[in-house]
Amino acid sequence: MLDLKRLVKHYPSGEETVRALDGVSLSVAEGETVALYGPSGSGKTTLLSIVAALLSPDSGQVMVNGKDVRRLSVRQAARYRRLDIGYVSQHPHLLPGVSAIDNAALKLFAGRLTVREAHREVAPLLDRLGLGGRLSHRAEQLSAGERQRVLIARALSTSPPLLLADEPTGSLDTRRSRDVLEMLTEVCAERQAAMMLVTHDPQAAAFADRIHALVDGRLVDYEPETPLLQPNGL
Amino acid sequence: MRPSNIFYLYRVRLRSRLVQELLALTGIAVGVALVFAALVANTSLTGSMRELTEGIVGQASLQVASRGPEGFDQQLLREVRKVDGIAQAAPVLEVRGNVVGPNGRRSVLVVAGDPTFARLGGTFLPDFNDPRLGRQRALALPAPMAASLGLSLGQPVRLEVDTRVGHTPLGARLQEEDIGDLVDHPVVLAPLEPAQMVTQMEGRVTRIFVKADPGEEAAVETALRRIAPEGVDVKSADADITAFEQAAYPTNQSTALFSMFSALVGFLFAFSAVLLTVPQRRRLVADLRMAGHDAGASVALLLLDALVLGAVGALLGVALGDQLSRHLFESTPGYLSSAFAIGSQRIVTWQSLAIAIGAGVLASCLAVLVPMRDILARRPPRRTSRKAASRSGHRVAGAGCVCLAGTTLIVAFAPGAALLGIVLLTLGLLLLLPLLLKGAVRVFEVMIAPVRSVSPTLAKIELQSRESQTRTFALSATGAIAVFATVAIGGAHADLERGLDASARDIDGNADIWITFQGQANTLATTPFGDAAQLFEALRDVPGVRSARPYRGSFLDLGDHRVWVIAPPKGSERLVPASQIKAGDPVLAASRIGTGGWVTLSESIADELEAGPGDRIELPSPRPKAFRVAAVTTNLGWPPGAIVLNADDYAAAWDTTQLSALHVDVVPGVSSAKVAKAIGRVLGPRTPMLVETARQRTERHYALTRDGLSRLTQISALVLIAAALAMVATMGGMIWQRRPILAALKVHGYSQRELWSALVIESALLLGTACLAGAAFGLYGQVLLSRALETITGFPVFYATAGLTATLVLAVITAVAVAMIAVPGWLAARVRAAPSAAQ
Repeated sequence: MLDLKRLVKHYPSGEETVRALDGVSLSVAEGETVALYGPSGSGKTTLLSIVAALLSPDSGQVMVNGKDVRRLSVRQAARYRRLDIGYVSQHPHLLPGVSAIDNAALKLFAGRLTVREAHREVAPLLDRLGLGGRLSHRAEQLSAGERQRVLIARALSTSPPLLLADEPTGSLDTRRSRDVLEMLTEVCAERQAAMMLVTHDPQAAAFADRIHALVDGRLVDYEPETPLLQPNGL
Repeated sequence: MRPSNIFYLYRVRLRSRLVQELLALTGIAVGVALVFAALVANTSLTGSMRELTEGIVGQASLQVASRGPEGFDQQLLREVRKVDGIAQAAPVLEVRGNVVGPNGRRSVLVVAGDPTFARLGGTFLPDFNDPRLGRQRALALPAPMAASLGLSLGQPVRLEVDTRVGHTPLGARLQEEDIGDLVDHPVVLAPLEPAQMVTQMEGRVTRIFVKADPGEEAAVETALRRIAPEGVDVKSADADITAFEQAAYPTNQSTALFSMFSALVGFLFAFSAVLLTVPQRRRLVADLRMAGHDAGASVALLLLDALVLGAVGALLGVALGDQLSRHLFESTPGYLSSAFAIGSQRIVTWQSLAIAIGAGVLASCLAVLVPMRDILARRPPRRTSRKAASRSGHRVAGAGCVCLAGTTLIVAFAPGAALLGIVLLTLGLLLLLPLLLKGAVRVFEVMIAPVRSVSPTLAKIELQSRESQTRTFALSATGAIAVFATVAIGGAHADLERGLDASARDIDGNADIWITFQGQANTLATTPFGDAAQLFEALRDVPGVRSARPYRGSFLDLGDHRVWVIAPPKGSERLVPASQIKAGDPVLAASRIGTGGWVTLSESIADELEAGPGDRIELPSPRPKAFRVAAVTTNLGWPPGAIVLNADDYAAAWDTTQLSALHVDVVPGVSSAKVAKAIGRVLGPRTPMLVETARQRTERHYALTRDGLSRLTQISALVLIAAALAMVATMGGMIWQRRPILAALKVHGYSQRELWSALVIESALLLGTACLAGAAFGLYGQVLLSRALETITGFPVFYATAGLTATLVLAVITAVAVAMIAVPGWLAARVRAAPSAAQ
């Protein structure tokens, strides 16, 4: 499903160079959930952005479902993000003033579906995520957990084979985090979708089939004692 | 994305930014309204004159016209009709006079013709074919004028043409369906013969309109020139339009200049208001990108935002502008009506509509499309480094200095390019504003260093924040431009008023009392009257009258200029308006004018004739005469220019004994006002003559010149009010959006009072600096505009730095804006402490 080979991404920062990714290789199979575990600034979000075709790597290869993501044109990249992947970000930002169902249907509006058809498509998903009674509530009227679930519904609305989840429980309390992660893994399992879960929370990582640690831009095997804090405190 | 989905997303997103959209809508509407009202006012002025002229001349292409009001012998018509290639030739008598009805008196242009007039095909003309009109020897009046004067069909109309008064029945009330928009013109139609009798101009006409056979115009013109006697010109049938455009030039130019400022303020208002929603739009673009929408969908959504906002704002603006043009800019500048019969109808052209609506839509597109760079960027935008930002800031400031240098060069060497100078100065202000704001915050930082209060520090931090830089700039630019425009144009306006007032004092101070023909159109004493003997007789018995002398004056078409001719009596104290001399010695010039054979010319006329002091010119008066130039003057307040000579020279050059005013001097020690009243009593209540003291006349003269500039004052006030409201509204909106941050600051122990003080200090510093910059640039703009007025139009301009005006405008606008911002600031600072809101 997902095949990353020797990905490198460096950022200049003043006189120094930040090695966000330094030769990362990783594969995720269909229906598999892989957790990328690492501290802040370890390159996790950079990796997800490259897989989502939002950033280009300096070198290396990204293959998703047989597509070389690096070779996608701007238009193809947009279509790829809409149909081939779902992206759940850390911050549950929704379009302000817009209802839960419209926010969830945002990806579907891009296709040939009418608003009514898009609503019909996404409503069962929201219901499955426990938001059946909140469809017409505006973004401001939803709790942080509800907003995160709307984002999950949006990500899954086009039934993508790959879900990218960037700290999806970062702004939630423990109980809500567990609920959200349970839902994510359940829905992915139902749809045979692969998921790459980025987190710095070991409890969240535990929901994955496989866990890798990302330290200083390099992928290492996860050991429970893998130090997340660097000697300089970062 | 399906268009229906784009519209749906637009609709569902609207409620979250309704307040900001309304603010932006107001900004666009205000800008469009000011631009549209100014355009309609300008178009109506020239359009009204064009309609009147075309309504009279019809398909005629040439005219044989008298240079003076006395006209020429009607026998010339017979000669004209003999010229080969002439299809039609129609005689016309045009006389300025007053129509009096039960409800009052109106200055009118009496247009008298015979049935051949109708064959020229003008809108006005079919009624000359109406046999009833000729048979009844009656007048036809536009219905609105007849109604306002209380005149009904068949009722006798009192027609005053100088001292001659006639009574003629009202034969027709012309409706809009008869004469179209001309129904709003101050025109009276009359059959030729009765009109000649009433005006005691039997056998005389003032023009013959000529319709040439196709392709024969040039030959006909040559032949007409050959037969035209002395004092008669052959010119284009619509020559009045050119002369009018020339006279209305300063009014139209200044209104256009103000329109530009209005548009800029309106745009900045809209821009500031729309910037409040930029974070939301950025977020939308990011979300759409993540959701797999292509750039086209984002652009379509933003464009729909812009088009709806722009179109609705522009339509509201057009409706508002329509009302402004009806109620505020409606009046025709009074000074123009003394030489031209201009109607009061409004002319709205598709060009005015297109420009106003286009400007509104463009403003909203530019403002809404700010997040476009996020869409166009293949990658998410990264912050520019402080160093790069500083380099770019220096480049912007450098460009501002170049603009300022360009303006200085224009002031010094090419004041004729004033419009370009104003554009450069405005650009310079906008480009230097970020640097000035930065400097002000630096100074403020130093000043508050020893202060213990936290509020100034909070204000400083917000003003230094890079996140709010664009918004801060847009807001400050609104205030700076408004103050700049008001100070620059207000200052130039005051300079001009001082010059015009001095000119009026010089001209009107020539006599203690003036006796002229009544009517608004005769404020410049240009309507002649013949029967002065009766007046002299009447004055003989009035106690306190020392002497009475004839004053003569009129308008003379000199090329495209309809020139004001001023001919005071020989012994006048101020034969030459000394304050208005631009070249030549005032004392020598006065003495030469008194001797005779000398004239003064306005600079524009002198330039056209390529003559200076001492040079000889041939004056194309009804009886052309050679004069020498005694001095070169300003235009004495009449845009096309003026000529001064003594009354006897005028009589010889115009071949007339008529006068246009009587100069009465009173016995020393006797009150002019009392003598004027006594003269009024002797002339009786129904006299068509107006008796006024020099002081009263000067006041009326001032009012006339101020009337010509009134539109500037009105637009200036509107721009200032619009800018103050814009700043208050957008600053208030900005403060209101900051409530989550204020809530978080409260968690850290800041009190409501401290937060409110910080908001007020921030507003005061921002607006104060912007308005100060605007005032400083405005004073420079005043120099530029005054120089331009002086050199382009030849107006009398007495320059004085408008420091007081600038200080007042600066203080009032800053104080009002800060006081008004204090209210939303106080309400926003009342937000409950909430740590989560800060996230």
